Amino acid sequence: MGLDESLPRRQFMKAAVAVGGASALSACLGRAPRAGEPVPEGVSDSSELPQRQHAWNERVRGDDEGNVHLPRHQTILYLNVDADGTPRSDARETVEAALRTLDRAYERSNEGLVYSVAYSPSYFERFDDSLPDSVDLPEPRRLSGFENPEFDTQDTLLHLASDRADVVLEAEEAMFGDRSEVNGLAVADRLGDALTVDDRRTGFIGAGMPAERQTQRGEPISGIPDSLPVPEASPLFMGFEAGFAGNQATEDYVTIEAGPFAGGTTKHVANLRQRLGDWYDEQTFEERVMEMFSPSHAEQGRVEGVGANLGADSGIDAFLDSETIQQSIDEHGRVGHAQKAARANRDEDGNVRILRRHVESTDGDMASLHFPSLQRRLSTFEEVREAMNGDDLTDNPSVRQRVNNGILEYVFVQNRGNFLVPPRRYRALPTPRPA
Amino acid sequence: MNRRAVLRAGAGLVGAGIVGGCLQTESRSVRSPPLVADRPDAVYHPTHSEGMEMIGSTTAGEYKVAAMYSYPHRFWEITGPNTNKKELDGSHAMHLMTVVWDPETRVVLPNAGLTIELTTGGSLVDQTNMYAMLSQPMGLHYGNNVEADGDGTYTASVDIGSVPDDRVRRTGEFRGRFTDPATAEIEFDYSQSVRDGLSYEEYDDAGERAALEPMDMMTPSATVPPKAEVPGAVRGTDTSGDAVFVVAVQDAVPAGIEGDGQYLTVFAHTPYNRTVLPSMTLSGSLSGSGDPFALEPTLDPELGYHYGAAVSEVVDGRTLSITVDTPPQLTRHEGYETAFLDMPGAEVPL
Repeated sequence: MGLDESLPRRQFMKAAVAVGGASALSACLGRAPRAGEPVPEGVSDSSELPQRQHAWNERVRGDDEGNVHLPRHQTILYLNVDADGTPRSDARETVEAALRTLDRAYERSNEGLVYSVAYSPSYFERFDDSLPDSVDLPEPRRLSGFENPEFDTQDTLLHLASDRADVVLEAEEAMFGDRSEVNGLAVADRLGDALTVDDRRTGFIGAGMPAERQTQRGEPISGIPDSLPVPEASPLFMGFEAGFAGNQATEDYVTIEAGPFAGGTTKHVANLRQRLGDWYDEQTFEERVMEMFSPSHAEQGRVEGVGANLGADSGIDAFLDSETIQQSIDEHGRVGHAQKAARANRDEDGNVRILRRHVESTDGDMASLHFPSLQRRLSTFEEVREAMNGDDLTDNPSVRQRVNNGILEYVFVQNRGNFLVPPRRYRALPTPRPA
Repeated sequence: MNRRAVLRAGAGLVGAGIVGGCLQTESRSVRSPPLVADRPDAVYHPTHSEGMEMIGSTTAGEYKVAAMYSYPHRFWEITGPNTNKKELDGSHAMHLMTVVWDPETRVVLPNAGLTIELTTGGSLVDQTNMYAMLSQPMGLHYGNNVEADGDGTYTASVDIGSVPDDRVRRTGEFRGRFTDPATAEIEFDYSQSVRDGLSYEEYDDAGERAALEPMDMMTPSATVPPKAEVPGAVRGTDTSGDAVFVVAVQDAVPAGIEGDGQYLTVFAHTPYNRTVLPSMTLSGSLSGSGDPFALEPTLDPELGYHYGAAVSEVVDGRTLSITVDTPPQLTRHEGYETAFLDMPGAEVPL
């Protein structure tokens, strides 16, 4: 696939990330030479960086309301360790050296590069020992009766994110391609010397980006109706903001506290295809608000436009009790997505349990969603997803397995994978019981 | 170029093949005649009927699945008592349908939560929820309008999401059944010319209170038997919103339901074709004995889909009052979209 040089800059940069490779990078750099827009450099000593690989919130953009804005360009690489069996120590050293190169090259920020490397249950099966009880990391599994996902059981997940398209491309090319420098720094060790890319997925997020990308080469992408309905102001295809600070777990909350992997977290990554014709063309704005947030949000006119007026909290906690939900179903025949999921996404003290970091994608010219979620225990994600299924709410027949049941009619899970994001000290091919 | 591109490009091209294909496709939606002006609040004869092409059947887990297609249809989604018409927008190639049943008893499963994924040459063409639907000629099925990517060999991957226990109680040998999801794959050849060769007929008596006859779907159908053959002792019938309720009493309570008295069964069906009407919330009360009780949607290998309640004894001379709290939450094809929505209470002297 070639890159269309006539595209407006923002679209061009996104397209370059989606395509990937050395030519995309050089096209990107040709369009926006590094000299004109230098990328801030990283640290000479990686130990200056936090142990938490998932400590992104303080290092990316935020808004006045306190919401975190994830980096616009993201690449998620699914990797396999080259050799069978237990990884050798020289492979481990190569991986660590390669990651240190990235740490030196780029400031750990949205203007440089934020990233994390994570490991699957399948990876840990390479070892005789099993993970300690302090790590809850089941194999990925089907999380609803109506999904049939492919399970991502590759060894390793590398998640790269930056507001600079040229940075995510360059980092990838330096680690797995033949680029010999990263941000002016010579590359001696590459991840590609120990790991092989099995799958490459790309994502983006930010106001305007989904609206721009609902067409490719003049055609609506798969999942987007001919009416091209995605609002310009929306950061996501479904037309609303998400991830309000008040509805997200803190990084502290999702961090493993005990055992050798203290400071790490678990990461579930799903890919969900979106089919939005009926979402936009068959429903009113109020109906979309009912299904995305809650019928009460629509009744009270709480959401304007893409929901920027909600500030730093969707206000969903006011509508989670079973009486309110039952009343909504009786009156409107619907239940809200946020409403259902949030029921299982609060602890006894009302703290949010999972930290969602999802982005949109047009991989394969299909509207989809890469959905990473961080939580201290992976099974917490499974509990939230179960609540989102709403199986307990279908005794009124107007709420069906997918229909009138939040947004389930419009999203289709394609992949699921579970990973451990170890603390920085064990980020390179860890053993299950590091000393 | 995908199909939508062909359709759009067709407007500006003189290539006869493309324009021809384009007109063929467009003519179908044009040929779907306008709805009749005064549709009765009842079952009525639709403006037209369309043939279908059987594309295959297979077994997946404990389910048997058959799939077929027809022209894209307009249909109506139901939320509570409200209808939402799904218009044809020219982007769809076919109305894809499936029927799911228990291979042993041939009982059709109406609440199995279906999703379909359509691929050709390994790439995804469309993926969508399949609505539980009610059609006069095709009965109770799952369906939706889907896109295609030209003529070729397609694989329909049907995800059967199980039948939720909260939704449909299971009794007898059906206890514990239909709880596991399964995926069925059916490969078929699709071509626009075959589709366009399917029968298409318009009717002069559209809008009259009548129904098209069921067509042979080559699958079991979800129908309530004629009154004389309904299981148990039939004690009376009534109608509500053009739906028929046949009330029968079974001498024994089916296994899986608490109670050692009798079992009150309500079989709900469409007029004319006697297609089962599932997915209602019904409650009942017996005159002289006070408290209302739920008539639970239940699937039983002998009784089929019905609404039932265990009662100590159904005394002669009492009246069963049936209240419809939610009308059938089934997507409707033309001729059914105005019926079974406003459903007043029914009274059946026993």
